Amino acid sequence: MPSLTTQSETLTPESIPHTLLPFLQSQSQNTLTRLYQRPSSCFSIFRLTGPLERQIIMNLLWLESAIPIATMSAWVIREGKKLYDAALTTLANLHILPQSNVKLALNPTFKASFRQAITGGGNSSSFGVPAEKDDKRSTNTVETLDAYALERWETILHYMVSSGQGSLPTKPSQGVLYLLQRSGLMTQNHGSALQITSAGFQFLLHTPHDQLWDLLLQYLHMAEERQMDLVEVLSFLFMLSTMDLGREYSTEGLSETQKAMLEDLRDYGLVWQRKATSKRFSPTRLATTLTSSCPPLPTSTGTSGGPQSQGFIVLETNYRIYAYTDKPLQTAVLNLFITMKYRFPNLVVGMLTRESVKKALSNGISAEQIISYLTTHAHPQMRKNNPLLPVTVQDQIRLWELERNRLKSEEGYLYKDFGSHADYEYVLNYAKQLDVVLWENTSRRCFFGSLDGHTNIRGFIERRTNGAV
Amino acid sequence: MEKASHLSVILDLSPTQWHLSAQSSNQYPLSIHSFLSQLLAFLNAHIASKHENTLAVFGAFPGKSVMLYSSTDPVADDVPPADANSYSSFKVVDFTIVRSIMNEFDALGNLDEEPPCALVGALTKALCCKSISAHFHSPNAVEDPAVLPDPRILILSVSPDLSTSYIPIMNSIFSAQKLKVTIDVCKVYGPDAVFLQQAAHLTGGSYIFLERRDALLQYLTMSFLSPPALRQVLAVPKQDKIDFRAACFCHKNIVDVGFVCSVCLSSNHILFYVVKLWFTYMCTVFCQPVPVCSTCR
Repeated sequence: MPSLTTQSETLTPESIPHTLLPFLQSQSQNTLTRLYQRPSSCFSIFRLTGPLERQIIMNLLWLESAIPIATMSAWVIREGKKLYDAALTTLANLHILPQSNVKLALNPTFKASFRQAITGGGNSSSFGVPAEKDDKRSTNTVETLDAYALERWETILHYMVSSGQGSLPTKPSQGVLYLLQRSGLMTQNHGSALQITSAGFQFLLHTPHDQLWDLLLQYLHMAEERQMDLVEVLSFLFMLSTMDLGREYSTEGLSETQKAMLEDLRDYGLVWQRKATSKRFSPTRLATTLTSSCPPLPTSTGTSGGPQSQGFIVLETNYRIYAYTDKPLQTAVLNLFITMKYRFPNLVVGMLTRESVKKALSNGISAEQIISYLTTHAHPQMRKNNPLLPVTVQDQIRLWELERNRLKSEEGYLYKDFGSHADYEYVLNYAKQLDVVLWENTSRRCFFGSLDGHTNIRGFIERRTNGAV
Repeated sequence: MEKASHLSVILDLSPTQWHLSAQSSNQYPLSIHSFLSQLLAFLNAHIASKHENTLAVFGAFPGKSVMLYSSTDPVADDVPPADANSYSSFKVVDFTIVRSIMNEFDALGNLDEEPPCALVGALTKALCCKSISAHFHSPNAVEDPAVLPDPRILILSVSPDLSTSYIPIMNSIFSAQKLKVTIDVCKVYGPDAVFLQQAAHLTGGSYIFLERRDALLQYLTMSFLSPPALRQVLAVPKQDKIDFRAACFCHKNIVDVGFVCSVCLSSNHILFYVVKLWFTYMCTVFCQPVPVCSTCR
């Protein structure tokens, strides 16, 4: 039986909600209720919520009438009360479980749609209409879809990573460039080429799943500005996430907005279409894993593919890094914070040096991000170590970050040339009461006050000089 | 993100018991049809909870145990094509399970006398299933992403205890403990099952006797859907009274007072795991006083 320690281990990371949930919570009740009319949307949102939320939804799903709050909370163990309350608040914000002090009951629209999702049936067509078998052309295999998604996605990332280095890789399409610019991952300075920003550098070190949702979230914000119907956009994304990899779906039944979306999503590598006018499309792994924690690009990280061969980095206590990779993208990302020594067809050797890490830090990448990147991409051989990364190296990376922060700058005013020591003391005391003194030197009769205290101190001095005169 | 979980379900599919269960003389008659439809909703809910959740379903038929469905198996060719109104995995699960059960029932034919249900066979198969036994083979299972934490087995039982199967059940319980598998038991029909109570108790699972049989789905969802980690927050009812009686090894009767061989007892008592269990695990239990057992003699 799992002990209490495993509970805290398993439950704390889950308290970080999915990136999409805050966005959904900011939507109006009307929008959400319209979204909940589609079983596939309910289904996907259900998957995005935490395990406790899911269990609460399930407990209430098959009940016809509302149950008293006390009945439900009788199931909660005292130590879990906090988590339970937090889960209820999340559900209330999503308008799935309206907040009430007496009874608990699911939003009727959500309940009806989600029941339909679980049992099947109805005629909502929300899980995507499969296309008729086409005898003339063979359907795409999973491998070709994966290759396509990977190519599209890496084009985007590669473009970002090499923009800072002057080389010119293949440009992604205009829509993608606009999205990158819009999301602040890249900027354009006076008509010159796009440059990656510090947010962009941080973005590169995220897992593909997070990167995907980051971009999609930006896409949603953009959709709002483009006057697209958010419900249509969201429900299309959710529909994609419930589809089967390697199956073709028909575009019939899609609204105009959704057909327009197909074009954008094709650029990101989420869907595949033979040609723009084609009446059928296939979702790629990027799309079908939207609501799961499966790696969205299984072949992107390992040389042989499969979730187990994800890691490729070996880090030694002498700061040497051996990266078993033949992917230019991964090499480029590593190049952000290591000094390359040798490159072989399937191996890159480099060093973590003070200069290389400081370069990364000045690009806006934090020490924690470097460490977490190394951790997530650690070679299976490294996984035998405990702790995973050598402590000395981890500490040194953090120390290098601290080095940057040795100097703290603050704006303010220097007060000096006081007529007498009594004057000086008097003003200083007043400033101290306001808690705005940053530095003082009694022998030289001067002190430094922060910016927001200046008006008060100035007024005080003026009142005093006027009064003295 | 939290890890996925594995669920193995063992269905007790004894035709006689299900016939009795559907009789309208019961307070809440439950036919196998309504049982299956509620069960499928429950299984769908498990799959819905997480994309990576895995599922295996075993059937205990008279004299035979069969694996009805496993999410790791490739999808059969004759599954009806997906339609726009349901999630395709649900369709595969539901179709495969119902078809396998029908096939097995057809294969049973007209038996004059029904052999007892092969519950132990199904339980053993469930324990050997790859998702569960992988725990045992890889020592650093926590790091291996292919191994799911907290596997559990849910037994839906309708048949009464079979005292001859006491020893194999006990052995299964001990292997389950070793594999850190939680066994949950739902007694859908019939009297309380002593051995299954012990199975649930010893593996940290819960044993629930279905009182309102018309509310099967609600019972299943509230008690058995949550993985063990979540049960630390949302409690799942456990029994306060457990029947610890053992079956004697000579006549396979459930005995209130058991007698043990003085030699084995004296040599083994340090290794015993649970006090009440040492009778059964380390020693042979007899229904009458024996000075020295045959092995020791």
